[in-house]
Amino acid sequence: MPRNRTLRLFGSVMSYLLLAVILLVVCFPILWMLLASFKTQVQIQSPEHLFLFTPTGKNYAAVFQNYDFLKPILNSFIVAAGSTLIGLVIGLPASYAVSRYRMGTLGALILMIRFLPGITFLIPWFTIFSRIGLIDTYTALILSHLLINLPFIIWLMVPFFDAMPKELEESARVDGCYTVESFRRITLPLASPGAITGGLLAFVFSWNNFVFSMVLCGGRTKTLPLAVFNFVSYALIDWGALMAASVVITLPVLAIAFLTQRYIIQGLTAGAVKG
Amino acid sequence: MKTGRMRGGTPPAAVLETMQANDWIEKHVRTLFTLPALVFVVVMVAFPLGYTVVLSLRDWNLTTGSAPRWVWLGNYASLFADARFWAAMGRTLAFSFGAVAIETVLGVAVALFLNREMRGKNLTKTLFLLPMVATPVAVGMVWLLIFEPTIGLANHMLGLLHVDPQPWLTSRKTALVSLMLVDVWQWTPIIMLVTLAGLAILPRDPYDSARIDGAGPVQILRRITLPLVMPTVLVGILIRLIDALKTYDIIYSTTQGGPGESTETLNILGYVLGFSYFRMGLGAALIVLFVLTVTAVSLLVLALKNNVDRRVGW
Amino acid sequence: MRAGNRWILVVLAATLLVPSLMAKGQKEAGDKSRPYAGTTVRCVFPVHPWTDGVKKMVPAFTEATGIKVEIEELATDPMSNKIAVEFNAKSTNLDVVYVRPLNETKLFGLNGWAADLHPYVDGDAAFDVKDFADATIQSLTYNGKLLGLPTTTEHQILYYRKDVLEKAGLQVPKTLDEMMAVAAKIHDPANGFYAMVNRGKKNIAVTQFSSYLHSFGGEFNEGDKALIDTPEAIKAYKYYTDLLRKYGPPGIVNFSWPEAAALMAQGKAGMFTDADAIYLNVVAPDKSTVGDKIGFAVFPAGPAGSKPFNVCSGAIGVGNFSKQKEAAAQFVKWMTSKAAVMELQVAGNSGARKSVWANPESTKSWPKELVEVVNKSNELGVGWDRPRVINVTQARDIISEPILVGFEGGDVEASAKKAQAAFQTLIDGEKK
Repeated sequence: MPRNRTLRLFGSVMSYLLLAVILLVVCFPILWMLLASFKTQVQIQSPEHLFLFTPTGKNYAAVFQNYDFLKPILNSFIVAAGSTLIGLVIGLPASYAVSRYRMGTLGALILMIRFLPGITFLIPWFTIFSRIGLIDTYTALILSHLLINLPFIIWLMVPFFDAMPKELEESARVDGCYTVESFRRITLPLASPGAITGGLLAFVFSWNNFVFSMVLCGGRTKTLPLAVFNFVSYALIDWGALMAASVVITLPVLAIAFLTQRYIIQGLTAGAVKG
Repeated sequence: MKTGRMRGGTPPAAVLETMQANDWIEKHVRTLFTLPALVFVVVMVAFPLGYTVVLSLRDWNLTTGSAPRWVWLGNYASLFADARFWAAMGRTLAFSFGAVAIETVLGVAVALFLNREMRGKNLTKTLFLLPMVATPVAVGMVWLLIFEPTIGLANHMLGLLHVDPQPWLTSRKTALVSLMLVDVWQWTPIIMLVTLAGLAILPRDPYDSARIDGAGPVQILRRITLPLVMPTVLVGILIRLIDALKTYDIIYSTTQGGPGESTETLNILGYVLGFSYFRMGLGAALIVLFVLTVTAVSLLVLALKNNVDRRVGW
Repeated sequence: MRAGNRWILVVLAATLLVPSLMAKGQKEAGDKSRPYAGTTVRCVFPVHPWTDGVKKMVPAFTEATGIKVEIEELATDPMSNKIAVEFNAKSTNLDVVYVRPLNETKLFGLNGWAADLHPYVDGDAAFDVKDFADATIQSLTYNGKLLGLPTTTEHQILYYRKDVLEKAGLQVPKTLDEMMAVAAKIHDPANGFYAMVNRGKKNIAVTQFSSYLHSFGGEFNEGDKALIDTPEAIKAYKYYTDLLRKYGPPGIVNFSWPEAAALMAQGKAGMFTDADAIYLNVVAPDKSTVGDKIGFAVFPAGPAGSKPFNVCSGAIGVGNFSKQKEAAAQFVKWMTSKAAVMELQVAGNSGARKSVWANPESTKSWPKELVEVVNKSNELGVGWDRPRVINVTQARDIISEPILVGFEGGDVEASAKKAQAAFQTLIDGEKK
């Protein structure tokens, strides 16, 4: 009947409208960050210029010229990639063992690391790394980031391995294949979706990390979050430059999220959902 | 190098060794696979934690320059007697439970709303990801600008609605709530995504029978959907609570615990005690108490989840 | 192994060894005149005009000595925290540190964190350590050890907008009462113009507040006695907070000196009392839109006279656990030498060397008014701007509480009494 159809259409339109409003609220700060990074100080302050303004690249010029952001970008990348890789190399076999050999206690122990706040480790780590001359090195930073990445990868992969069918491995075993071999040849390829997810999220967490960098970084290995925080003292109320710096630091992870959203969403929601 | 050919009889020594090595590896595969992780945990986690616990039993005040001396539970007693500690504890719990409660209500509501056939669902989920993956320090910067009393958008919006401008992060009365707002903005998506994932795998039977029985949408929601999805949501809440209790980046990059001490959570206070006041033993004791608090809260939520699991019949 | 393989290995090894031998050779060639060439010295400095000046002089230093310099720049509080963490862990690559004498000399001395510089400067006639103002050297000496060489001195002065005062037909305030009256007349928040701006952020405000405290006849503490609830102190608290609550910008509670200076530089504030050392942030053309309209005046007088602070606010020292103390000391001496201080002072940094101050060349590009004000302030100044205790940071936090309460319009007197008790407890605790 026509009236029902109109009602349904109306309801549909309202739903999409509501959705649009919700999405706007969710994305607005990031959108604002992007817009403001192309505005001058005056434009940021006058609300009339919210969307209508001539964009300027001055802020980005200031960020890259007055304050060398290239090195921190490289540092962040090296540390994130390094800790992700090592996290996977250590975490994948460990999760497999925890799953296959039912090492529940070890698994639980590693997961409980999540209870510990970052500052618990600052002084002891600094003491150890200082003594062996590892301060301001990529090694120290990568190791510290593993504290977050390793438990996460294990938390992600153990249920993954739990849910993986054992038949293929068992038939390989019957054929005389050693576990290490079957792990390498059969299990790992099957686990790649989960591993990719774990790797992506580990990279994101590492890229965003601030606390450990504060203490373990030196001039040579300063990572982006630290550089941005220091930049505040330069930029002061130069909001344009500050927004430009914020965009620079957030853009890579936002891009990663966009391009690999299926993996990331699965990674973040896995373990919560049964079955 | 001469390659021996197998002719029957015992294989050459080199091959025998490889076979024995492989057998050994096979026997100990479980240890070998977990050893690197275990070593990491012991060196990078257990030792520092032990160091912190031991440190918490000593009075080591760098400003007096005297050698650290054993005070056993003295630091803990000082903390328990200090109003600043309890204030920080109160703020930490209020911030975490408050923010997570709002995130749960909003997240579940939006997930229920989105749990239908609609276009753009993937795009929606992707956009919801953005607040969570954005670097916290950068997020802090943007919100500093949005909350700026004179030029920020927040007050501008309020002005459009004829509401008085608020001091947001610059007043002791509103700073903590403002930071909770930032947390809600950043992390409601995780609850939303987790709930949505949970809703997606709900069994159809209960719904079919309910519809046959003539149940209305509200009843279905209350009696079927919510109870069935609650275990999943609880896991999300657990993870969110632990992280909320440990919040540091957002607070440090915006207010550093200020104005005054109005956004000083346990985490921040620990940093202040250790690195600003140089009372190392006291700071360590606070960290220990903090870890115990997080553990207690987690066990509570886990117990709740087990309860709900049993009732739902998983 | 086949002969061919072996040969390749030899060639490989040779190609690796030769460059390293060559490098060693180069180093030895330059050894005599540049004993530490090739080392890298790591410095931790605050964001400050002084650091900007030093960065410009680093290439000349590296050229002359062959020592490379890495400067880490942080905001003041994170910088102190970082230095504390590193010293606590006996970091071996903390070579040069920025020392805030009034905050850190006792702390560094008690814990043996900074190296004694006497062996490096005594007997060096060209360096002439006696050329530094006595008070500054004293503030850096602990148990006979010299823990740093002074780099910056500061006096609190009044910055004001000449044009704004002229337009309102007002004279530059000479007393605190006059300043309050002037502020009342020029405050125009509807047009985004605030009469007064100052530091309001927790313990950072305490140093600026000290001038007000002293000018009202009050004091933080005298020896073992805390004094922040005396009638004079309470008057000072009330004045400072009334002034800024009524005539200052919103959000004053988050203002450190960079924010306050920037507000002034953007033409949004009428008056600003803070250290002369940061004048570049207020008037330099690349930072300020109203640089040529800024006037300078001596800190206004309170009931007890005009008592701005006159302190050595910064120094640099050598980390005691550094493995390159000699190279670090060379850098420290270079940047505090007569030539360097002259260069820095010309660029606008007020140093601590008497000879440089006596030379009119050093301040010739400074605003003339400023130089006069600085000279006058030198005679009036009080030598400390913060409580004289060991745990200065915690003391400053305690002392700043009544300021926060005042900003909110609360009961300053009650808050001061509570703070007094806490402060006294702190002082007593340090005696043990």
